[in-house]
Amino acid sequence: MNSNIWVLASADSVAIATTLILAALGALFTERAGVLNLGIEGILLTSAITSFLTADASGSIWLGLIVGSLVGALLASIHALLSVVLRANQIVAGLALVIFGTGLANFLGKPAEGKTVSTIIRPLSFGPLSDIPLIGPVVFQQDIITYASIVIAILSSLYLFRSRPGLELRATGDDPATVDAQGLSVASIRIRYTLFGGLLVGLGGSWLMLAQSAAWHQAATTNGVGWIALALVVFAGWRPMRLIFGAILFGFTLQLPFTLQAEQITFIPSALMQMLPYLATLIALIALSRPSTRNKLGAPKSLGIPFVRDER
Amino acid sequence: MRSPIRIVFEQRSETPKYLSTLVPLLSVVAALVVGALFLLATGYSPVETYSNMLSDGFTSSRGITDTLGLSTVLICTGISAAFAFQMNLYNIGGEGQLYLGMIGGAWAGLALGDRLPSYLMVPAVLIVGALAGALWVLLPAFVRSRMGTSEIVTTLLLTYIAASLVKHFVYSPGSFFVTKNSAFPQGRLVPDSASLTGINGTSLYPTFFMVILIALALFWIVKRTEYGYRIQVISDSPRAAHYAGINANRTTLSVMLISGALSGLGGAVLIVGPFGRLDPGIILLGYGYAGIVIAALARNNFSAIIVSGILFAGLRSGGDKLQISTDTPIHIGVMLQGAILLFALGGEAFRRYHVHAVRTERAAQ
Repeated sequence: MNSNIWVLASADSVAIATTLILAALGALFTERAGVLNLGIEGILLTSAITSFLTADASGSIWLGLIVGSLVGALLASIHALLSVVLRANQIVAGLALVIFGTGLANFLGKPAEGKTVSTIIRPLSFGPLSDIPLIGPVVFQQDIITYASIVIAILSSLYLFRSRPGLELRATGDDPATVDAQGLSVASIRIRYTLFGGLLVGLGGSWLMLAQSAAWHQAATTNGVGWIALALVVFAGWRPMRLIFGAILFGFTLQLPFTLQAEQITFIPSALMQMLPYLATLIALIALSRPSTRNKLGAPKSLGIPFVRDER
Repeated sequence: MRSPIRIVFEQRSETPKYLSTLVPLLSVVAALVVGALFLLATGYSPVETYSNMLSDGFTSSRGITDTLGLSTVLICTGISAAFAFQMNLYNIGGEGQLYLGMIGGAWAGLALGDRLPSYLMVPAVLIVGALAGALWVLLPAFVRSRMGTSEIVTTLLLTYIAASLVKHFVYSPGSFFVTKNSAFPQGRLVPDSASLTGINGTSLYPTFFMVILIALALFWIVKRTEYGYRIQVISDSPRAAHYAGINANRTTLSVMLISGALSGLGGAVLIVGPFGRLDPGIILLGYGYAGIVIAALARNNFSAIIVSGILFAGLRSGGDKLQISTDTPIHIGVMLQGAILLFALGGEAFRRYHVHAVRTERAAQ
């Protein structure tokens, strides 16, 4: 067994976790406010292609990241309008966003087919630190967005559990009537965090494009990562710190098929290996929903329920 | 900092009948307008695009039969989604159940070979396909009814697993489903006895009429039978259902399985119809996802699904031919699907509520 490959595999797990952390954090903020946005996959895909086209036209990957993130917030605003303002069915609205986003991304991606990004986001180098065996590649050879995603997750945890606005956010997801009685606008809080969530998902999609895949593969660019991110939020019990570890774990299953192929372990056919991340997510979801564990998880109590004040 | 005008949503006690038709119609129009603006912005001609889609999808005789042919599978996935949605069960894995229906149907056709006459073969393929679709929803249905695990993400994850399964069956060497010693991996055609021919050589197959009958039968079952009544009670008030002694778990399980079987039937319809073989090309077509849109647009009404299914089939088949006729990316069809649904959902608010603006001074009184 080639130990180099496994070091690379561990480094890749951390790298791939970047999109998962950002997308799942985006979903987490949205859900903590009580809004369920199933459109993550569609947002990821649209952000990915718009970041690609922007980076390609301007030559700046940073501009690509910014535009991709803003597009994420823009798509999330459709969801906010439908589910918060117009009180539509949030599940169907999210699905509509997936379908719309997929069509839009494929439409916009037509000129990008067969092209690659000219410059990709490169890993940072920390001199001798990056050369430490095992730890070097895993910890000190990631790119700036990967580090940023972990910092954002830590800050999110502090914000949620140690700040006044964080408390208001959690209260909005659990008990909007009380928040309303405090004189705060439930609708405004929900809209703000849905947009902020979309921004994070958009950043995740742009990073996936500009650092990870570098070429447009239509819907296979994201290949269900958005759905895994949604499961990850449940897995992490709506807590940002747990989400980091979960993301690395799911990141490991996402890159494993490629590692095993590189190791020439072929007793499992490659098409079946590709099932692994989805299978692992599925098993995790089912295991977590045993009634005894579910109560401890702490889903926002008003998740997906529109808030209607008794108005006469 | 309150704005002087406030939008008030007043629940309608009774929804005017015309709104139920007007809202979906207007959402289609609004989506087309947005699509036109989008086409203009990206440098395509909306007039040319839409007139091509109209003639390729709806008005030419070839267009009509292509549309009705495609609607066969879309109505299947539409009634599949609606059957679960009406009980607030969100089986959104119709796409994966459709793949399984294709696998099951192709397996039945190939395994039975030429041993049976056509009038037994075709039903066998359809039934095995439907069973395979039901099988694919069994796990999500079981954990949903026993442990309350949300079926939304589980059914969707299984779609990705089903896609890998299709690829495995077509690309792994020596697979039962492929032609031996072929230059490139390709599904083996089912025997003639298991395939139907299009009516008058068109792409409209007799299965279309079967699917229409199934949709009408479901309409009747939901409105007129005790089973349909049970579904209604559970979806309106789970607590009332509990006190009425209705076993909600068992109904959940059966509704999910029937929903899966209907999507599976859609996959099998493709085996006896135009495909004739297990084809990984199905993975890119998104017929299962389209079913969600079709059901939502028809507000889970089974007879309305026939209409929205045909409408969407026209949109898709017109859109799919665009690239050949005008070089406009075919994805405009899928994009419009999503846009129509987004508008329909938004429009729903105007159907349910009387929306009006009031001055805040007056509202505060």
